[in-house]
Amino acid sequence: MPIIEIKHLKKYYQVHKKEPGLAGSIKSLFNRKYEDVKAVDNISFEIEEGELVGFIGPNGAGKTTTLKCLSGLLYPTSGGVSVLGFNPWDRKYPFLKQISLVMGQKNQLWWDLPAIESFILNREIYEIPKEQYEKTLDELTTLLEVKDVLKIQVRKLSLGQRMKCELIAALLHSPKVLFLDEPTIGLDVVMQKKMRDFIKEYNRRNKSTILLTSHYMGDVKELCKRIIIIDKGKILFDGLLSEIVEKYADHKVLSVVFSKEIDAKKLEEIGEVREYNYPKAVIYVKREVSSVASAELLQHFPVADLTLEEVPIDQIIREVFTGKDVA
Amino acid sequence: MSKYLQIIRITFQEYFEYRLNFVMWRFRNLISFLTLIIFWLAIYGEKDKILDYQRSQLLTYVIGVAFLRGIVLASRSVDLAGQIRSGELTKLLLQPLKIFNFWFIRDLTDKALNIFFATIEIIIVSKIVNFSLVLPKNSTDFVIFVVLVILSTLLYFYLSFFISVLAFWTEDVWATRWLLGIVLLELFAGAYFPIDILPSWLVRIIYWTPFPYLVFFPLKIWLGQASINMSIKIILISFCWLIFFFVLASVLWKKGVKNYGAFGG
Repeated sequence: MPIIEIKHLKKYYQVHKKEPGLAGSIKSLFNRKYEDVKAVDNISFEIEEGELVGFIGPNGAGKTTTLKCLSGLLYPTSGGVSVLGFNPWDRKYPFLKQISLVMGQKNQLWWDLPAIESFILNREIYEIPKEQYEKTLDELTTLLEVKDVLKIQVRKLSLGQRMKCELIAALLHSPKVLFLDEPTIGLDVVMQKKMRDFIKEYNRRNKSTILLTSHYMGDVKELCKRIIIIDKGKILFDGLLSEIVEKYADHKVLSVVFSKEIDAKKLEEIGEVREYNYPKAVIYVKREVSSVASAELLQHFPVADLTLEEVPIDQIIREVFTGKDVA
Repeated sequence: MSKYLQIIRITFQEYFEYRLNFVMWRFRNLISFLTLIIFWLAIYGEKDKILDYQRSQLLTYVIGVAFLRGIVLASRSVDLAGQIRSGELTKLLLQPLKIFNFWFIRDLTDKALNIFFATIEIIIVSKIVNFSLVLPKNSTDFVIFVVLVILSTLLYFYLSFFISVLAFWTEDVWATRWLLGIVLLELFAGAYFPIDILPSWLVRIIYWTPFPYLVFFPLKIWLGQASINMSIKIILISFCWLIFFFVLASVLWKKGVKNYGAFGG
C-alpha cells in the first residue's frame, strides 16, 4: 500500500483583486472582485514507503500547496488525500506524530529562546521517551555539527545553523513521512551539500518517506531517483529522473573547440548551432546521428577539442516548463 | 501534562527575555492605577459618600480593578491574530497539540505573573495612600466572588479568542480590537469606575452586554452590594455568556482553520 496517495486533488484559492492606491481600496470595499486561483488543479500520484521523491516546479507552481494539503494544513477544494492511511485534514494525533513539515522560509523554532527549549517542548508534545530523545538529539546534533549552538538564542544563529536546528526539531520524533519545502533555500554551496548529504543519509537509515520540493536542480539531481514536475497546478512529468532525459531530450550536445577560424554557415549542416563564438561552438544534434555528426565534424573542420554530452537536466526541465521542444 | 509545564517554562523565559518590556508595562499599570486612586480621592475631598459609594468602598473597587485587570482582562491569545495573519499559526497546527489549551496555558502563566506584580503594586500604593480595604461581609460572598472571577476569566479568554479568530477573515483585526478593547470593553466592564454611577438607562443597556460580568459584578459582590438572589442571577448570566462565546469561538475557529491559507511559500 502506498504511504502517500493523492487522487484528483484540487485546491483553489479565492483572492480579491485590488486596484492600486486609495481609490482602489475604497472601490474594493464596495465591489470586491473575487478570482479563483487554481493553486493545485487535479493532480494524482502515489508514493511508496521509503521513497525520496523530488517535487519540482517554478515559483507558484503548487508545490507548497500540495505539501500543505498532505500535512493537513489546507483543506482541499476537492479530491482525496491519504497519508499513512489517514486523512491529513483530520489532524489526528497519531497522524501528526508520524509526519513533519519543514519549510525553509518559515521559522518553527521559538525565536527568542535557545533551540534546546524548542526541542524540549517537542519532546513533551510528541511524547518522545527520554532515552530515545537523548539518543536522537545526540545523533542529529553530531551529524549536523550544531552541538555547540543549542544554547544560543535562535535569532542570533546564522541562517545555516538555524536551518539545521529547524531540521532537528522536525526530526526528533522520528517521523515516518517527511515533507521538506525548500530545505536548502538561502544556504551557501557548502551548506547545501551538507544538507543534501544529511537528507540522503537520513532517508537511507530510517527508511522514511521523503517528499522534497526545491527549485535547485542540484538538490533533486543528487537526492532523488524519482521526480514529479509540476507547473501551474498540473503535473507535467512523474517518473524516474533518468527517464526524463530519454523522454524529452532526443538531442545530444556537441561542444567543439576549433583550432582555426571556420565558416559558421557550414556548421549548420552538422546540426543546430546553439552558440558560435570562435573558437568555441555548441551544436545540438539528433541523438541517433550524434556519432556520425561528430565524425563528420572531425573530418571537415579543424577541431582542437570535441565532447559529446547529454543535454543538461536543468535545461531539459527548464524547457519542459516553457513548453518548448527540448533541443 | 508535562507538555504544559514546558509551555509555562517557555512563556516565563520569554518574559525574562523582554524584561524591559515587562517592566515598562507594569509601570504603566502602576501609573494608571495610582492616577485613578488620586482622581477619586480628589473627587471625594472631605465627603465620605458619593453616588452610593463610601470612600473606602470606591477605593477598594479601584484596587479590585487593578487586581482583576491582571487576572481577567489579560490574555495572550491577542497574539493569535498576528499568528494567523503572518502564517505563523502553521507551526502550531502541525503539532499534536490543542490550540485552545496552548493559549490557555500561556494565559495562566501570564496571569500568575500579573497577580504577583499586582499584589506588590497594591501594597506600594496603599502605603502611599492611607486607607483600609473593604473585605467581603461573609464567606458566601467571597466564594461567589471567586466563582464569578473564574467564570469571567474564561469568558474573557473565549471573547478574546473569538476576536482573534476574526483575523481569518478581516485584515484589520487590530482596529476592531482597539475599538472593542479600549473604548467599549474596559468602560463597560467597569474598569474605570463602577458602571452604576452612570445614568440608569445607560446602565440597563450595559447590563445586556457581557462586559460588566468581567470586572464590575465580581467587585459588586466583593463589596457586598448584591443580594444572594442577584448573585445567583449574575452567575447564571455570566455562565450563559461563557457558553455563548465558547461556542462562537470554537465554531469560528473550525471554520477559520478551513479557510486558512497557511500563507507564505
